[in-house]
Amino acid sequence: MKKRNKNDEVRWSTLMTNAQRGNENDYRQLLSELGDTIAAYLRSRFGDLDVLEDCVQESLMAIHKARDTYETSRLFRPWLFAIVNHKTIDMLRKRDKHHNVINEKMFQQKELMSIEADHLVDRENKFDKMQSCGQLLMSLPDIHREAILLTKLQGLSMKEAAEHLEISEGAMKVRVHRALDASRKLLKSERY
Amino acid sequence: MNSRDQLISSLVGDLTIKKHSFPVIWVAILWWLLSWVYVVTATFLMGPIRLLHQYEGVLHAHQFQIESLIGLVASLFISIIAWYGSTPGALSRRYVYLAFTFVAVWLAFYVVGFFEPALEPSMVGKRDHCYLEAFIYSLPPTVVACFYIVRRYPINKIQTGFLVGLAGGIIPALFMQFSCMYESEHIFTYHIVPAIFAGVIGVVVLYIFNFINEK
Repeated sequence: MKKRNKNDEVRWSTLMTNAQRGNENDYRQLLSELGDTIAAYLRSRFGDLDVLEDCVQESLMAIHKARDTYETSRLFRPWLFAIVNHKTIDMLRKRDKHHNVINEKMFQQKELMSIEADHLVDRENKFDKMQSCGQLLMSLPDIHREAILLTKLQGLSMKEAAEHLEISEGAMKVRVHRALDASRKLLKSERY
Repeated sequence: MNSRDQLISSLVGDLTIKKHSFPVIWVAILWWLLSWVYVVTATFLMGPIRLLHQYEGVLHAHQFQIESLIGLVASLFISIIAWYGSTPGALSRRYVYLAFTFVAVWLAFYVVGFFEPALEPSMVGKRDHCYLEAFIYSLPPTVVACFYIVRRYPINKIQTGFLVGLAGGIIPALFMQFSCMYESEHIFTYHIVPAIFAGVIGVVVLYIFNFINEK
Protein backbone atom coordinates (compact mmCIF):
# COMPACT_ATOMS: atom_id res chain seq x y z
CA MET A 1 0.00 0.00 0.00
CA LYS A 2 2.75 2.41 1.01
CA LYS A 3 4.75 1.52 -2.09
CA ARG A 4 1.71 2.13 -4.28
CA ASN A 5 1.15 5.51 -2.61
CA LYS A 6 4.78 6.40 -3.20
CA ASN A 7 4.52 5.45 -6.87
CA ASP A 8 1.34 7.50 -7.22
CA GLU A 9 3.02 10.39 -5.47
CA VAL A 10 5.94 10.47 -7.90
CA ARG A 11 3.77 9.89 -10.99
CA TRP A 12 1.14 12.48 -10.09
CA SER A 13 3.79 15.03 -9.19
CA THR A 14 5.47 14.49 -12.57
CA LEU A 15 2.15 14.64 -14.44
CA MET A 16 1.17 17.85 -12.65
CA THR A 17 4.55 19.44 -13.35
CA ASN A 18 4.16 18.56 -17.03
CA ALA A 19 0.59 19.87 -16.99
CA GLN A 20 1.82 23.16 -15.55
CA ARG A 21 4.11 23.37 -18.58
CA GLY A 22 1.09 22.93 -20.83
CA ASN A 23 1.15 19.18 -21.57
CA GLU A 24 -2.51 18.35 -22.24
CA ASN A 25 -2.08 14.56 -22.46
CA ASP A 26 -0.43 14.35 -19.08
CA TYR A 27 -3.08 16.61 -17.61
CA ARG A 28 -5.85 14.43 -18.99
CA GLN A 29 -4.20 11.32 -17.60
CA LEU A 30 -3.70 13.00 -14.23
CA LEU A 31 -7.33 14.13 -13.94
CA SER A 32 -8.61 10.70 -14.99
CA GLU A 33 -6.47 8.95 -12.38
CA LEU A 34 -7.38 11.48 -9.72
CA GLY A 35 -11.09 11.13 -10.52
CA ASP A 36 -10.95 7.38 -9.85
CA THR A 37 -8.78 7.82 -6.77
CA ILE A 38 -11.06 10.47 -5.28
CA ALA A 39 -14.15 8.33 -5.92
CA ALA A 40 -12.53 5.32 -4.23
CA TYR A 41 -11.32 7.49 -1.36
CA LEU A 42 -14.75 8.98 -0.72
CA ARG A 43 -16.47 5.62 -1.04
CA SER A 44 -14.14 4.11 1.54
CA ARG A 45 -14.82 6.99 3.97
CA PHE A 46 -18.49 7.70 3.43
CA GLY A 47 -19.89 4.58 1.79
CA ASP A 48 -22.21 5.00 -1.18
CA LEU A 49 -22.81 8.70 -0.84
CA ASP A 50 -25.46 9.80 -3.33
CA VAL A 51 -23.53 12.99 -4.09
CA LEU A 52 -20.28 11.09 -4.54
CA GLU A 53 -19.95 11.85 -8.26
CA ASP A 54 -20.75 15.52 -7.58
CA CYS A 55 -18.01 15.59 -4.94
CA VAL A 56 -15.55 14.01 -7.38
CA GLN A 57 -16.35 16.53 -10.12
CA GLU A 58 -16.28 19.48 -7.73
CA SER A 59 -12.90 18.28 -6.50
CA LEU A 60 -11.58 18.01 -10.07
CA MET A 61 -12.71 21.57 -10.79
CA ALA A 62 -11.05 22.76 -7.58
CA ILE A 63 -7.83 20.95 -8.53
CA HIS A 64 -7.95 22.70 -11.89
CA LYS A 65 -8.45 26.07 -10.22
CA ALA A 66 -5.67 25.46 -7.70
CA ARG A 67 -3.23 23.75 -10.09
CA ASP A 68 -0.77 26.65 -10.11
CA THR A 69 -0.38 26.48 -6.32
CA TYR A 70 1.18 23.02 -6.50
CA GLU A 71 4.93 23.25 -5.99
CA THR A 72 7.15 20.41 -7.18
CA SER A 73 9.19 20.65 -3.99
CA ARG A 74 6.11 19.63 -1.97
CA LEU A 75 4.31 16.31 -1.67
CA PHE A 76 1.37 15.91 -4.02
CA ARG A 77 -0.99 13.84 -1.84
CA PRO A 78 -1.35 16.33 1.06
CA TRP A 79 -2.06 19.05 -1.53
CA LEU A 80 -4.61 16.84 -3.31
CA PHE A 81 -6.46 15.59 -0.24
CA ALA A 82 -6.58 19.03 1.38
CA ILE A 83 -8.61 20.11 -1.67
CA VAL A 84 -10.75 16.95 -1.76
CA ASN A 85 -11.60 17.06 1.95
CA HIS A 86 -12.43 20.76 1.77
CA LYS A 87 -14.67 20.29 -1.26
CA THR A 88 -16.43 17.23 0.16
CA ILE A 89 -17.32 18.84 3.48
CA ASP A 90 -18.31 21.99 1.59
CA MET A 91 -20.59 19.97 -0.70
CA LEU A 92 -22.20 18.16 2.21
CA ARG A 93 -22.86 21.45 3.96
CA LYS A 94 -24.33 23.07 0.84
CA ARG A 95 -26.43 19.99 0.21
CA ASP A 96 -28.22 20.70 3.50
CA LYS A 97 -29.49 24.06 2.33
CA HIS A 98 -30.47 22.87 -1.13
CA HIS A 99 -32.04 19.62 0.02
CA ASN A 100 -33.91 21.12 2.91
CA VAL A 101 -35.96 23.33 0.62
CA ILE A 102 -36.84 20.49 -1.74
CA ASN A 103 -37.43 17.93 0.98
CA GLU A 104 -39.53 20.36 2.97
CA LYS A 105 -41.97 20.67 0.09
CA MET A 106 -41.95 16.96 -0.64
CA PHE A 107 -42.54 16.21 3.02
CA GLN A 108 -45.57 18.46 3.17
CA GLN A 109 -47.07 16.80 0.09
CA LYS A 110 -46.47 13.35 1.46
CA GLU A 111 -48.08 14.31 4.72
CA LEU A 112 -51.17 15.37 2.84
CA MET A 113 -51.26 12.08 1.02
CA SER A 114 -50.99 10.22 4.34
CA ILE A 115 -48.33 7.85 3.16
CA GLU A 116 -45.83 8.82 5.79
CA ALA A 117 -46.12 5.62 7.78
CA ASP A 118 -45.23 3.39 4.84
CA HIS A 119 -42.50 5.77 3.89
CA LEU A 120 -40.85 5.58 7.28
CA VAL A 121 -40.94 1.78 7.30
CA ASP A 122 -39.26 1.88 3.92
CA ARG A 123 -36.60 4.19 5.27
CA GLU A 124 -36.07 1.95 8.27
CA ASN A 125 -35.10 -0.83 5.86
CA LYS A 126 -32.86 1.51 3.95
CA PHE A 127 -31.21 2.55 7.21
CA ASP A 128 -30.35 -1.08 7.97
CA LYS A 129 -28.70 -1.44 4.59
CA MET A 130 -26.63 1.65 5.30
CA GLN A 131 -24.88 -0.03 8.21
CA SER A 132 -22.15 -1.14 5.82
CA CYS A 133 -20.95 2.43 5.41
CA GLY A 134 -17.46 3.82 5.03
CA GLN A 135 -14.69 3.55 7.59
CA LEU A 136 -14.80 7.25 8.42
CA LEU A 137 -18.45 7.03 9.39
CA MET A 138 -17.78 3.90 11.41
CA SER A 139 -15.22 5.74 13.47
CA LEU A 140 -17.69 8.52 14.37
CA PRO A 141 -19.71 8.34 17.60
CA ASP A 142 -23.14 6.72 17.16
CA ILE A 143 -25.18 9.92 17.27
CA HIS A 144 -22.94 11.63 14.71
CA ARG A 145 -22.94 8.64 12.39
CA GLU A 146 -26.72 8.38 12.63
CA ALA A 147 -27.06 12.10 11.81
CA ILE A 148 -24.92 11.81 8.68
CA LEU A 149 -26.53 8.55 7.57
CA LEU A 150 -30.02 9.97 7.76
CA THR A 151 -29.42 13.39 6.25
CA LYS A 152 -26.50 12.87 3.86
CA LEU A 153 -26.69 9.28 2.72
CA GLN A 154 -30.37 8.60 3.01
CA GLY A 155 -31.31 12.10 1.93
CA LEU A 156 -33.90 12.89 4.63
CA SER A 157 -34.62 16.53 5.38
CA MET A 158 -33.68 17.88 8.80
CA LYS A 159 -37.34 17.77 9.81
CA GLU A 160 -37.80 14.17 8.72
CA ALA A 161 -34.58 13.04 10.37
CA ALA A 162 -35.52 14.86 13.57
CA GLU A 163 -38.91 13.15 13.66
CA HIS A 164 -37.28 9.80 12.97
CA LEU A 165 -34.97 10.25 15.96
CA GLU A 166 -37.68 11.93 18.04
CA ILE A 167 -35.68 15.07 18.70
CA SER A 168 -36.28 18.71 17.79
CA GLU A 169 -35.28 20.03 14.37
CA GLY A 170 -32.86 22.45 16.02
CA ALA A 171 -31.14 19.64 17.90
CA MET A 172 -30.91 17.68 14.63
CA LYS A 173 -29.23 20.62 12.90
CA VAL A 174 -26.71 20.91 15.73
CA ARG A 175 -26.05 17.16 15.55
CA VAL A 176 -25.43 17.27 11.78
CA HIS A 177 -23.21 20.33 12.13
CA ARG A 178 -21.13 18.62 14.83
CA ALA A 179 -21.01 15.40 12.84
CA LEU A 180 -19.64 17.24 9.80
CA ASP A 181 -17.11 19.03 11.98
CA ALA A 182 -16.01 15.72 13.46
CA SER A 183 -15.72 14.26 9.94
CA ARG A 184 -13.66 17.22 8.81
CA LYS A 185 -11.30 16.80 11.77
CA LEU A 186 -10.97 13.07 11.13
CA LEU A 187 -10.21 13.67 7.45
CA LYS A 188 -7.68 16.35 8.38
CA SER A 189 -5.90 14.10 10.85
CA GLU A 190 -5.39 11.36 8.25
CA ARG A 191 -1.97 10.87 6.73
CA TYR A 192 -1.79 10.65 2.97
CA MET B 1 -18.50 9.67 -22.80
CA ASN B 2 -19.85 10.15 -19.27
CA SER B 3 -20.17 13.48 -17.49
CA ARG B 4 -16.84 13.14 -15.68
CA ASP B 5 -14.99 12.53 -18.95
CA GLN B 6 -16.73 15.55 -20.45
CA LEU B 7 -15.67 17.65 -17.48
CA ILE B 8 -12.07 16.42 -17.78
CA SER B 9 -12.06 17.28 -21.50
CA SER B 10 -13.27 20.79 -20.81
CA LEU B 11 -10.71 21.27 -18.02
CA VAL B 12 -7.93 20.02 -20.30
CA GLY B 13 -9.13 22.46 -22.97
CA ASP B 14 -8.82 25.24 -20.41
CA LEU B 15 -5.21 24.36 -19.52
CA THR B 16 -2.73 27.23 -19.65
CA ILE B 17 1.00 27.26 -19.05
CA LYS B 18 1.85 28.21 -15.47
CA LYS B 19 3.59 31.55 -15.18
CA HIS B 20 6.92 31.43 -13.40
CA SER B 21 6.40 31.93 -9.71
CA PHE B 22 8.57 31.66 -6.62
CA PRO B 23 7.84 29.09 -3.90
CA VAL B 24 5.34 30.48 -1.44
CA ILE B 25 7.90 30.61 1.39
CA TRP B 26 10.07 33.03 -0.61
CA VAL B 27 7.06 35.16 -1.41
CA ALA B 28 6.25 35.23 2.32
CA ILE B 29 9.78 36.29 3.26
CA LEU B 30 9.86 38.94 0.54
CA TRP B 31 6.51 40.30 1.70
CA TRP B 32 7.76 40.36 5.30
CA LEU B 33 10.94 42.24 4.36
CA LEU B 34 9.10 44.80 2.23
CA SER B 35 6.53 45.30 4.98
CA TRP B 36 9.33 46.05 7.42
CA VAL B 37 10.90 48.57 5.04
CA TYR B 38 7.52 50.24 4.59
CA VAL B 39 6.67 50.31 8.32
CA VAL B 40 10.08 51.66 9.36
CA THR B 41 9.95 54.33 6.64
CA ALA B 42 6.40 55.36 7.47
CA THR B 43 7.17 55.51 11.21
CA PHE B 44 10.26 57.65 10.56
CA LEU B 45 8.28 60.02 8.38
CA MET B 46 5.45 60.39 10.88
CA GLY B 47 7.44 61.10 14.04
CA PRO B 48 10.69 60.79 15.97
CA ILE B 49 12.18 57.41 16.84
CA ARG B 50 12.72 57.09 20.59
CA LEU B 51 15.52 54.57 20.26
CA LEU B 52 17.75 57.09 18.49
CA HIS B 53 17.86 59.04 21.77
CA GLN B 54 18.13 56.02 24.06
CA TYR B 55 20.41 53.66 22.19
CA GLU B 56 23.13 53.59 24.84
CA GLY B 57 20.75 52.12 27.40
CA VAL B 58 19.48 49.58 24.90
CA LEU B 59 22.98 48.29 24.16
CA HIS B 60 23.15 46.96 27.72
CA ALA B 61 19.51 45.85 28.04
CA HIS B 62 19.78 42.17 27.15
CA GLN B 63 16.15 41.44 28.07
CA PHE B 64 15.04 44.11 25.59
CA GLN B 65 17.30 42.71 22.89
CA ILE B 66 16.04 39.17 23.40
CA GLU B 67 12.37 40.17 23.45
CA SER B 68 12.87 42.21 20.28
CA LEU B 69 14.62 39.33 18.58
CA ILE B 70 11.88 36.88 19.56
CA GLY B 71 9.25 39.37 18.38
CA LEU B 72 11.06 39.60 15.06
CA VAL B 73 11.13 35.81 14.68
CA ALA B 74 7.46 35.62 15.72
CA SER B 75 6.46 38.15 13.06
CA LEU B 76 8.42 36.19 10.42
CA PHE B 77 6.79 32.88 11.39
CA ILE B 78 3.30 34.38 11.45
CA SER B 79 3.94 35.81 7.97
CA ILE B 80 5.08 32.42 6.69
CA ILE B 81 2.08 30.51 8.07
CA ALA B 82 -0.25 33.23 6.76
CA TRP B 83 1.11 32.72 3.23
CA TYR B 84 1.13 28.94 3.64
CA GLY B 85 -2.63 29.24 4.12
CA SER B 86 -2.86 30.12 0.43
CA THR B 87 -1.56 26.71 -0.65
CA PRO B 88 -3.66 23.57 -0.01
CA GLY B 89 -1.99 21.16 2.37
CA ALA B 90 1.01 23.41 3.05
CA LEU B 91 0.02 24.63 6.49
CA SER B 92 0.57 21.97 9.11
CA ARG B 93 -0.41 22.22 12.76
CA ARG B 94 3.25 21.99 13.73
CA TYR B 95 4.01 25.28 11.94
CA VAL B 96 1.04 26.98 13.56
CA TYR B 97 2.08 25.82 17.04
CA LEU B 98 5.64 26.93 16.42
CA ALA B 99 4.62 30.39 15.23
CA PHE B 100 2.22 30.95 18.11
CA THR B 101 4.78 29.68 20.62
CA PHE B 102 7.08 32.48 19.49
CA VAL B 103 4.22 34.98 19.77
CA ALA B 104 3.39 33.69 23.27
CA VAL B 105 7.02 33.93 24.40
CA TRP B 106 7.28 37.43 22.92
CA LEU B 107 4.15 38.55 24.79
CA ALA B 108 5.34 36.78 27.95
CA PHE B 109 8.32 39.15 27.99
CA TYR B 110 5.93 42.08 28.27
CA VAL B 111 4.10 40.33 31.11
CA VAL B 112 7.45 39.89 32.85
CA GLY B 113 7.98 43.57 32.07
CA PHE B 114 5.18 44.46 34.50
CA PHE B 115 7.41 43.24 37.34
CA GLU B 116 10.86 43.57 35.83
CA PRO B 117 10.86 45.95 32.85
CA ALA B 118 13.44 45.41 30.13
CA LEU B 119 13.98 49.17 30.00
CA GLU B 120 13.19 51.78 32.59
CA PRO B 121 9.52 52.65 31.86
CA SER B 122 9.28 56.25 30.71
CA MET B 123 7.21 58.58 28.60
CA VAL B 124 10.21 59.36 26.39
CA GLY B 125 9.26 59.06 22.73
CA LYS B 126 5.54 58.84 23.35
CA ARG B 127 3.68 59.27 20.07
CA ASP B 128 0.28 60.91 20.31
CA HIS B 129 -1.59 58.47 18.11
CA CYS B 130 0.56 55.34 18.29
CA TYR B 131 -2.47 53.03 18.39
CA LEU B 132 -3.79 54.56 15.16
CA GLU B 133 -0.37 54.43 13.57
CA ALA B 134 0.09 50.78 14.58
CA PHE B 135 -3.25 49.92 13.03
CA ILE B 136 -3.05 52.06 9.87
CA TYR B 137 0.51 50.96 9.03
CA SER B 138 -0.70 47.36 9.08
CA LEU B 139 -3.35 47.94 6.43
CA PRO B 140 -1.32 48.28 3.18
CA PRO B 141 0.71 45.08 3.74
CA THR B 142 -2.50 43.26 4.69
CA VAL B 143 -4.37 44.47 1.61
CA VAL B 144 -1.47 43.59 -0.71
CA ALA B 145 -1.14 40.09 0.79
CA CYS B 146 -4.89 39.44 0.63
CA PHE B 147 -4.96 40.61 -2.98
CA TYR B 148 -2.43 37.95 -3.96
CA ILE B 149 -3.54 35.22 -1.59
CA VAL B 150 -7.13 35.25 -2.82
CA ARG B 151 -5.82 34.53 -6.33
CA ARG B 152 -4.18 31.38 -5.04
CA TYR B 153 -6.32 28.80 -3.22
CA PRO B 154 -6.90 29.66 0.46
CA ILE B 155 -8.94 26.78 1.87
CA ASN B 156 -9.66 28.25 5.29
CA LYS B 157 -10.39 31.90 4.54
CA ILE B 158 -11.10 33.00 8.09
CA GLN B 159 -7.87 31.53 9.42
CA THR B 160 -5.78 32.79 6.51
CA GLY B 161 -7.32 36.28 6.62
CA PHE B 162 -6.73 36.54 10.35
CA LEU B 163 -3.13 35.37 10.07
CA VAL B 164 -2.42 37.80 7.23
CA GLY B 165 -3.89 40.72 9.21
CA LEU B 166 -2.02 39.63 12.33
CA ALA B 167 1.23 39.32 10.38
CA GLY B 168 0.67 42.81 9.00
CA GLY B 169 -0.22 44.10 12.49
CA ILE B 170 2.66 42.56 14.43
CA ILE B 171 5.29 44.42 12.38
CA PRO B 172 4.23 47.98 13.38
CA ALA B 173 3.35 46.71 16.89
CA LEU B 174 6.89 45.45 17.29
CA PHE B 175 8.52 48.49 15.75
CA MET B 176 6.58 50.73 18.12
CA GLN B 177 8.76 49.37 20.89
CA PHE B 178 11.67 51.14 19.23
CA SER B 179 9.85 54.27 18.23
CA CYS B 180 7.17 54.85 20.90
CA MET B 181 7.37 54.94 24.71
CA TYR B 182 8.36 51.71 26.47
CA GLU B 183 6.00 50.49 29.16
CA SER B 184 4.29 47.08 29.31
CA GLU B 185 0.72 48.27 29.86
CA HIS B 186 1.05 50.84 27.09
CA ILE B 187 2.50 48.22 24.73
CA PHE B 188 -0.37 45.80 25.35
CA THR B 189 -3.11 48.41 25.07
CA TYR B 190 -1.81 50.61 22.26
CA HIS B 191 0.45 48.35 20.18
CA ILE B 192 -0.73 44.75 20.59
CA VAL B 193 -4.51 45.33 20.57
CA PRO B 194 -4.37 47.15 17.19
CA ALA B 195 -2.38 44.18 15.81
CA ILE B 196 -5.15 41.78 16.88
CA PHE B 197 -7.73 44.12 15.41
CA ALA B 198 -5.73 44.08 12.17
CA GLY B 199 -6.26 40.31 12.16
CA VAL B 200 -10.02 40.83 12.14
CA ILE B 201 -9.65 43.36 9.34
CA GLY B 202 -7.59 40.77 7.44
CA VAL B 203 -10.57 38.39 7.46
CA VAL B 204 -12.87 41.14 6.14
CA VAL B 205 -10.42 42.20 3.42
CA LEU B 206 -9.86 38.61 2.28
CA TYR B 207 -13.61 38.03 2.07
CA ILE B 208 -14.11 41.25 0.09
CA PHE B 209 -11.38 40.28 -2.39
CA ASN B 210 -12.79 36.77 -2.61
CA PHE B 211 -16.25 38.17 -3.36
CA ILE B 212 -14.83 40.44 -6.09
CA ASN B 213 -12.69 37.62 -7.48
CA GLU B 214 -15.59 35.18 -7.72
CA LYS B 215 -17.78 37.76 -9.41
